[in-house]
Amino acid sequence: MSENVNKTLTVTIDGIECICEKGEYIFDVAKRNGIYIPTLCRHDAFDNHRACCRICIVELKQRGRTKIVTSCVYPIDGECEIFTQSDKIREERAVLYALLAHRAPDAPGLGQMGTALNVNGVDRLVTIDNEKCILCGLCVQACSSLGTGAISTVNRGVDKKVSTPFDKPSVFCVGCLSCANVCPTNAIEYVETETTRTIWNREFELQFCDECGTLMGTRESVAFAAADVELESPIVCDECRKKKLANEMMITYRFV
Amino acid sequence: MTDSEQISKITEIIEAYPKDQRFALAAMQDMQHAFNYIPEEGIAALSEYLACAQSQLYSMATFYKALSLTPKGEHIIKICNGTACHLRGSMNLVTELKRDLGIEPGETSEDGKFSIELVNCLGSCALAPVMLVDGVYHNKLRVDQVPGIIEKYANAGAEGGEQA
Ligand code: SF4
Ligand code: FES
Repeated sequence: MSENVNKTLTVTIDGIECICEKGEYIFDVAKRNGIYIPTLCRHDAFDNHRACCRICIVELKQRGRTKIVTSCVYPIDGECEIFTQSDKIREERAVLYALLAHRAPDAPGLGQMGTALNVNGVDRLVTIDNEKCILCGLCVQACSSLGTGAISTVNRGVDKKVSTPFDKPSVFCVGCLSCANVCPTNAIEYVETETTRTIWNREFELQFCDECGTLMGTRESVAFAAADVELESPIVCDECRKKKLANEMMITYRFV
Repeated sequence: MTDSEQISKITEIIEAYPKDQRFALAAMQDMQHAFNYIPEEGIAALSEYLACAQSQLYSMATFYKALSLTPKGEHIIKICNGTACHLRGSMNLVTELKRDLGIEPGETSEDGKFSIELVNCLGSCALAPVMLVDGVYHNKLRVDQVPGIIEKYANAGAEGGEQA
């Protein structure tokens, strides 16, 4: 970021005056001021956003000119007026929504969003049966930022999808569910039994806390998370570890 | 080529490049060239060498049309399906090839001799319809000329390549 980062600006979003710093993204400023902008491919966990669904578009009026920008990645660079619900935005957003909803007709989250946005689909578009994924790539970003890198986007054009290499169970996957949890449309399926979890065609055994028995995740994900902390045994969950530590402290400092 | 020959060839290709992720594509192109496809072992070895995720390389390998993860035929037939060639009957050539070789665009014949690909404009619209075999242009092609051309390549392979 440039040296002007700390310069404060006042912008209006939907008529509300908002203070922000130069370079802040429109979405972040709106959110801080309680103004809702719908999003799909944006997640708080990351700084660099996908900017792929375009559901978050807003109208920006600056120096007498108006343009449509992607609010999740558009840095505010001067005084301006922003409209998140103008007629034009509603119209454009409805088209974008319709495209996504036809691409992924089975995505549960998308249906709700359609109702919330009060848009009707465009009927001439063809839907893809049983599809839930909008190909935003958030899951891939989550997986690679963890360092597991088990999944990626595969193929191109109409055949594009998210998968593991050769659609085989990945030896790098730890079954942590980061991908499934980050997905805006709940597209990633997994099956859990009492003792196992199956995701991306691979079955994992679940790990429970040796002390209290709460589910900690798969064996692999617990070991992966503990890899740089040194895996101790017995394997205990965070709560139990804290308790144990507190007890030890109590004993140590008992006579102080 | 035996497995160990393949592995040493893969190593040779990979180690010709510095350990930098930007050489991933070049190394995969070399593998494509050497083996007519990118073997699974090649992706594994390259990912280890460049310290990048296998999934990332797989993603690239499936993205670029020049790269293939299944063995391509010895001879690659490309049919131009650009506007001019299409209008001048490139699809009839495809039908004829299907009759001769029993395969569709994107497939490889069972004997591993031929692969057919549909490509977009080759920039030779005046010569439409155009068919490329191993990079050689066959211009203003008529359907009845196709079997002869195919036969030439099939036989050439039999003389030179059978023992290899
Ligand atoms: S599975 Fe979900 S997170 Fe991954 S690309 Fe599809 S919609 Fe995005
Ligand atoms: S949320 Fe901004 S483009 Fe998807």
